Amino acid sequence: MTISRRQILGGAGFLAAAAALNGCAGFSGGGNDGGGGGDGDADTLTFTTWGSPAEEEGFRNGIAAFEAANSGTKVELNLVPYEQIFQNIDAQLQAGTAPDLFRVDYGTIGAYSSQDQLLDLSDYFDTAAAEEFLPSMWEAVQFDGKPFGVPHQTDTSALVYRTDLFEQAGIGAVPDSLESAWTWDEFRQVAEKLRGSLPDDLYPFVYNWQLGGSTRWLSWLFQAGGRLFNDDLTGSAIESDAGRKALEFTQGFFTDGLVPPSSSVKSSTYADDAFSAGTTAMAFVGNFVLPGLEENIQGFEWGATYLPRDERGACDLGGNALVATRNARNPELAAEFLKFMTQPDQMSDFCARAMELPTLNSLVGTELDYQTRPDIAGIFVEQATTLEPGDVQQLTSPAMATINPKLRDQLEAAFTQGQPVEQTLATIAAAVDEAAG
Amino acid sequence: MSADTSAREESTGSTAPPPSPAATYTAQPGRASRRQRSTGAAAGFLGPNLILLGIFLFLPLGWAFLISFQESSGFGASGWVGLENYRRLVTDPTFWQSALNTAAFTLITVPLSLALGLGLAVLMNSVLPGRKLFRTLIYLPMVISGIATALMGVLLFDEATGIINKLLREGGLATVPWQSQGTAAFASIILVTLWIRVGFNMVIYLAGLQGISPELYEAARLEGASSWQQFRYLTVPLVGPSTFFLLIMDVIYSFQVFDTIFVMTGGGPGRSTSVLVTYAYENGFVTRDQSYAAAIGIVIFLVTLVFTAIQWRGNRSRDTVG
Repeated sequence: MTISRRQILGGAGFLAAAAALNGCAGFSGGGNDGGGGGDGDADTLTFTTWGSPAEEEGFRNGIAAFEAANSGTKVELNLVPYEQIFQNIDAQLQAGTAPDLFRVDYGTIGAYSSQDQLLDLSDYFDTAAAEEFLPSMWEAVQFDGKPFGVPHQTDTSALVYRTDLFEQAGIGAVPDSLESAWTWDEFRQVAEKLRGSLPDDLYPFVYNWQLGGSTRWLSWLFQAGGRLFNDDLTGSAIESDAGRKALEFTQGFFTDGLVPPSSSVKSSTYADDAFSAGTTAMAFVGNFVLPGLEENIQGFEWGATYLPRDERGACDLGGNALVATRNARNPELAAEFLKFMTQPDQMSDFCARAMELPTLNSLVGTELDYQTRPDIAGIFVEQATTLEPGDVQQLTSPAMATINPKLRDQLEAAFTQGQPVEQTLATIAAAVDEAAG
Repeated sequence: MSADTSAREESTGSTAPPPSPAATYTAQPGRASRRQRSTGAAAGFLGPNLILLGIFLFLPLGWAFLISFQESSGFGASGWVGLENYRRLVTDPTFWQSALNTAAFTLITVPLSLALGLGLAVLMNSVLPGRKLFRTLIYLPMVISGIATALMGVLLFDEATGIINKLLREGGLATVPWQSQGTAAFASIILVTLWIRVGFNMVIYLAGLQGISPELYEAARLEGASSWQQFRYLTVPLVGPSTFFLLIMDVIYSFQVFDTIFVMTGGGPGRSTSVLVTYAYENGFVTRDQSYAAAIGIVIFLVTLVFTAIQWRGNRSRDTVG
């Protein structure tokens, strides 16, 4: 048989295109037949997550224990940087190549569960199993009354401070219990005292609402007794005395020079980085940054205390759930893995390694073997109890995915552009009404 | 005189036009003509590229165009909404602010990066000591990923902990609000962009300069032309094709700037550094409104296309200079 040049070139073209397409499949990052599992290998699960080195170690330990307990099963771990994980997951869900399992924060889970992208776990977690979790955390994984994930861990913010700058400013004792936490007025006085004693380029404190953390502003709203949504979550409730008070109070941080002017919600620098660099006397930080602070801070001593309170105490809902995708190859095995990872021994090991807070009732009262600053870890555990089910319902509403960018824009405008309080609240309220209505 | 030469002279003396290569070829019965075969070979060579371009460029482009006429449901488009996304663009102040910022960014960065690139190329083309080292240093930001370069930008321009403000503080000077004041933030983006772009422009200009005959400069010097006159009346016109190429590349780059702004300012403070691509990204991947993001993407594509077409028509003659 004679093969013409045209046939050779055509064939080469076809092979090149096939090779290119095949190569691109490598970008799918897992997929239902990802990484050696193959369509027929129902005993393999693919799991995509992000994680600090300590969290990675925790996941690997959990996976090894799961594989040992379930002979013949395999869990393929795919680690992705946090900044791009949800773009990847979105693209994979749309392309039908999503992993069987992934990790998602409580603020984003609603965007997936409300769009029918996650496995409904009602058949795998009965009432007794659900009651093992803290009610507010179980609430965080619900949509339409059904669980679409398991609360794997939580975290929240507290206040860290430099002891040397506190002494220099003449600030003595700091609150040592939730009940004695500073009121807003007392916190403001502390900040002003620091402002008076610090040079111009050092600031009293920095708040952690940067880089996607704008919802942490809602802690102020909740502390003032306000709400973002109305009671049935169908519209806004932020245009209230509490809303005005919270926004005026936080806007004052910038207008009165209490926080670095570059620390607004669109800043590219995290609050804990500013504190580590020694440019602020206090910082609102999540417990998960404690290992980083311990490692990076040199030259000064630091402690921690509770968040300020107003009408009530409140804090932010950090942490993450583990979920299975709707089209997981082996839903039973995926649900089994989720159950296994939230067993007390697995959860306590993971939380102790990664400085995270547990979500099981049985672990709340127990002392976890925290590796970093066990002296202050309890402050974060206690602070997390100020989160109320009503707060969780608002923070995990599917509408938050649409509201978040608008909340960030409006807070930025109020903090750095001098946008009036009423205008800011009205625009946030309009965004909530549009997204929730 | 050889017989061959005489044969050529005879041929030249003839009044008949010389036969064209095509006219001298007679197709053999039963075989494809050379023309057909060469067309086939060209198609064979072009084929793989066209297939790849079709799959990875034209198909997504057409797809984005379709999605821009649909409603986004968060995961893929759902209903058909016609021009609704484009109508929304017209009344969206953030879109206009981002478009204005993109235009300002382009108007500032393109001429500056061209001028600096040409200036540095002239310098590197001369007898500068250690010029190979300087060339490498200037080109370096171009070979590092955009995100990494932008992170270096953060190290330099961070308002509290950045190197520049630290140096200013050490020198007893006032610090610059690189992240909290709109104009300063915009300036920091432009400075980092110039740092990234100038190396590429320099290399292209350097290639253009090295194609210019040294005799031209020698003749100009003999005529008494000063250095400035040599630069103005010889160098600048003779690197015209390079300028034309760079102008189009730089404008496209500026319209599509994303990574530097995304990492350094996130579009802030306020909306002062938001550009069309960061706004499209925000809608597509944060709000998950892919249809609206696709409409913004199509606008960026059309504006870039129109600008390139205008440049192409306006500068066609430059392609033949040099």
